[in-house]
Formats: sequence, C-alpha cells, structure tokens
Amino acid sequence: MPSVTFVEFSGAKHVVDVPVAENVMRGALYNDIPGIVGECGGGLACATCHCYVDEAWTDRVGPPSSPEERDMLESAAAEVKPTSRLSCQIEMSGGLEGLIVHLPEKQYD
Amino acid sequence: MRMDPANPVPPVVHHRVGMDQVPPHVPKELIRSAMIAYGSEFLAAPHDYMAGLHETMPPLWYDVGAMGNAWQAIKHEDALHVLRHAELFNNEDATPFPRDPDDYFYFIPIEIDPPDHRKYRNIVDPVLSPKAVLELEGRIRQLANELIDGFIAKGECEFAEDFGRPLPVYVFLELMGLPLDMCPTFVSWAIELLHSNDRAIMGESLRKISEYLKVAIADKQAHPDDKVISRIVHAAPNGEPLSEKEIFGFAVFLFIAGLDTVFATLNNIWLYLAENPDKRQELIDDPENITAQTEELLRVFSVTFSGRTVSQDTELRGVQLKKGDKITCILPACNFDPEAFPNPREVNFHRPRKTILAFTVGVHSCMGAHLARLEVKIALQEWLKRIPEFRVKPGTKIEYRPGGVVGPEQVPLEWDPATTA
Repeated sequence: MPSVTFVEFSGAKHVVDVPVAENVMRGALYNDIPGIVGECGGGLACATCHCYVDEAWTDRVGPPSSPEERDMLESAAAEVKPTSRLSCQIEMSGGLEGLIVHLPEKQYD
Repeated sequence: MRMDPANPVPPVVHHRVGMDQVPPHVPKELIRSAMIAYGSEFLAAPHDYMAGLHETMPPLWYDVGAMGNAWQAIKHEDALHVLRHAELFNNEDATPFPRDPDDYFYFIPIEIDPPDHRKYRNIVDPVLSPKAVLELEGRIRQLANELIDGFIAKGECEFAEDFGRPLPVYVFLELMGLPLDMCPTFVSWAIELLHSNDRAIMGESLRKISEYLKVAIADKQAHPDDKVISRIVHAAPNGEPLSEKEIFGFAVFLFIAGLDTVFATLNNIWLYLAENPDKRQELIDDPENITAQTEELLRVFSVTFSGRTVSQDTELRGVQLKKGDKITCILPACNFDPEAFPNPREVNFHRPRKTILAFTVGVHSCMGAHLARLEVKIALQEWLKRIPEFRVKPGTKIEYRPGGVVGPEQVPLEWDPATTA
C-alpha cells in the first residue's frame, strides 16, 4: 500500500498508508490526521480538505482536476497557492508512493 | 461532561418556552417570533418565506415561540461558523424523537460530538462516498423506471406517494441490506414517526421500528453481508466491536435520516418544475450540466434545519450567546443569503460552485449527501426522459404540513400520455 506523508502546519509529520484508488482526504480521516476536515465527504461541496502538494510532487499529482475543484478552492480559508489541491480529488496510485502533502494553517475560519 | 456512547443517558436539557422564559442576556430589540415551520405565513409558501427573512428579520434574532425559544441564524457565514465549531455548539439533544428514558439510546452519529464522532463516520462513510454510491446508480435508475412504468400511461400521478416516497425507501432498503418487500411497511412507519406530530404515535412508531431493527441486527450478526447494517454490526474500530446500544442507535438513526429528506426534496423540486416549464426545458436541453443543476435545485429547495446547544459563552455577530442557549441555523434561509448567492431567489444553473447548506456543514455534515444528490440527479434524468411535459393538476391546493422537514404534502401531476416515452 503506498504511503503518504502529511506535514501539519506546525511541521509535525505523519506517514500513513493509503490504499490504491482511495483518495488522500480519506487516508487522512482514517488515520486521524489533524488538519484535514473533509466535511462534505469528497463531493466537491466544501474546501475543508485543502492541502499543498509538495513541490517535488506537483508534476506527478497535477493541477486541480476539474473546474469545480478550482471553484471550491476559491473558498478555502487559508491562502491558495499554485500547489493547492483538494485532497479528496487526489486518488492514490502506485506512482504516488511516498507522496508528501503539506496542510494549511486552517480549513475554515 | 463527555458522553459515553456505549452507556447512553438522557441529557439534562433546559427548554425555554415563551416570553417569560427569555434569559436576561438577550437584547429586547432582537426578540422576534417568526413561527418557522409551523406559522400560517410560513406554511403558505415556506421557501419564499425563508428567502424573505433576509428582508424582514435581523441577521440573528432570538425567537420566542410555542416550540421553544432559540437563536435563529440565517446568514450563510454565521451558519458555517456555528456548524463548524462543534466545541462551541454541541449536538446533545439534537433530535426531537421520544425515547424511553429507562432504555435510552443515542442517535448515532448525530448526537455524538468529536472526538468519538469520527469512529462512527469511518464505518459508513466509505459506502456513501461519491465513488461508492455510483455502484447503486444502475439499480436506482431501474427503480425509478419501474415506478414510472406504474403510472405513465395514466397521464397522472400523485407524485409524493407514487414516486417521491417509494424511490428513497427502496434505495434505503437496498443500501441497508433489508428486504424490498418491506417498502410499504417502512413507508407507514416513516409517516407515523415523521409526520404525525403526535408524541404517542411517534413513540409507538419508533417502538415498531426498534423491534424490527433488533431482529434485523440479530440476523446480520449471524449472516454478514456487505451492506450497511451488517457493516455496523461487524465493525470494530480500534479492535473494539460496537456495543448493542451503539449498533441500534446507529441503525435507527439512518432510518430517520434517510427517508424523509429526499422525499421532501423531490416533492419540492417536482412542484417547481411542474410550474416552471422554461427551467424544465433548460434541464432537458443541457444534460451535460446535470451536476450543477442538481446542486442549484438543492440550494433553493433545502428542506431542513440544524439545531445546536451553546456549550460555552460566546459571541456571534456581536451578540452574546450563553451556555445552554439553543440556536437553530435555518439552512434554507442561509441558502438564500444574498451575500453568499447574489440574486438568491433566481434559479441559475450556472452559478459558480460554492458550499451550500442543504446537507449542513462541519463534522455533522450529512453522510448521505452523495447518495441524495445521486437520487435527485437520476430521478430528474429518468423522469424528464420519459415525462418531459407535466403540470400540477388544475384546482389543486398545495399544502405544507408543519414540521422539521419542509415539502408539500401532495403533488398531483398530470400530462398528456402522447408526449411521453
């Protein structure tokens, strides 16, 4: 099972396994990672699973995968950067083994 | 006090009712009585009334009424704040259904706040994720068409009874792993529990549902499957199986949550489409935009409310709220907040995507949201394919019943069978 490293805003790191085809947001929720809320459950109806993809991974992960993801990112509470993604839209695959994502200061105000 | 979900006890609740029970910290100028969900003005046209609250009421007021006194929030921003801060606004006493104090149970997960809440959600969320519910798509289409087959040639139906009610019940039974021939029984229980407005009938209905579910749970213990009840029965978060009370409270809550809300939503939408042929045509002409169309219809036809209890003194919109105060987010009104949705009454299928409150937000965000969206979407697609032109039967008076789920009681429709497919 590929592993993902979540880096909290404080710098704390958590390495967890996320099954292939599962999304990164769910990987965080299953493992009680602080800093990801994912309140809508992955339906592009909120922006509470916001993350910054580590610079080393942006090419492989790619930009927001739909206009809806782009729209929703606009309502993210923390600063939106070029590396911003909604983690529910990043699906795990073998090629993402070792993925690193950084978590924002907050998911809502 | 932190609750123990495995050993439920009835919460000590301080209900305030009427003018003589307005606490002293409430400013006089913020006291109103809007009679939400039961007043005659509300019932005449609920969604219009709730949209109009932005013109007739302060953005946050203290409502005094026969159903209990509570703060009422109608701003989108305020609802996000209240619902996303479970540490300030808790969910104890969040459901009005009568329970036996000597055999008490919590409705799970709605009455459980963090940190215990997530363990329950992790059991069921995977089967209700956007991807997982797609596995039900074919089946829902088939059920929708079977229902339509039953009345299409007649040129008329009573939408609520013939389609709005049975579709979500069938899907629910399927998902839970319960026999489909229970549909009529479940419908009658749902009506007694959710629409009788009589505590004795509600209690009796809950007793029948409980009896049935206890047998079903025992059956799943012996014969596991991959459906929801069985998953709950066999779940073991952190290696610990759920207690009998937790399993029961979880199963019975799904029953309450899953049936009436989609029913009311479908009824609202079909009434609107029957009266707005141009919008119907837009749906037919632009099938690629179905996701945004569904979301926009859910925005303007949200059906329910989120009530919370203030856990510690706090401030909202410059107003002091005190521990023990009740606060209701009028979700349909929040979806008409002009600051969040410009020109809010207009149904516009091309709005930029934004958080709507149909399914509430925060940790208690509706776990069935993706299933509900899928049901509405499929219902629209299959219905409009086969019955593109329909209207409310002339002479019909549309009526709304008081209660916490807002939709017309009956929607009698008619069409020319020659226009159907």
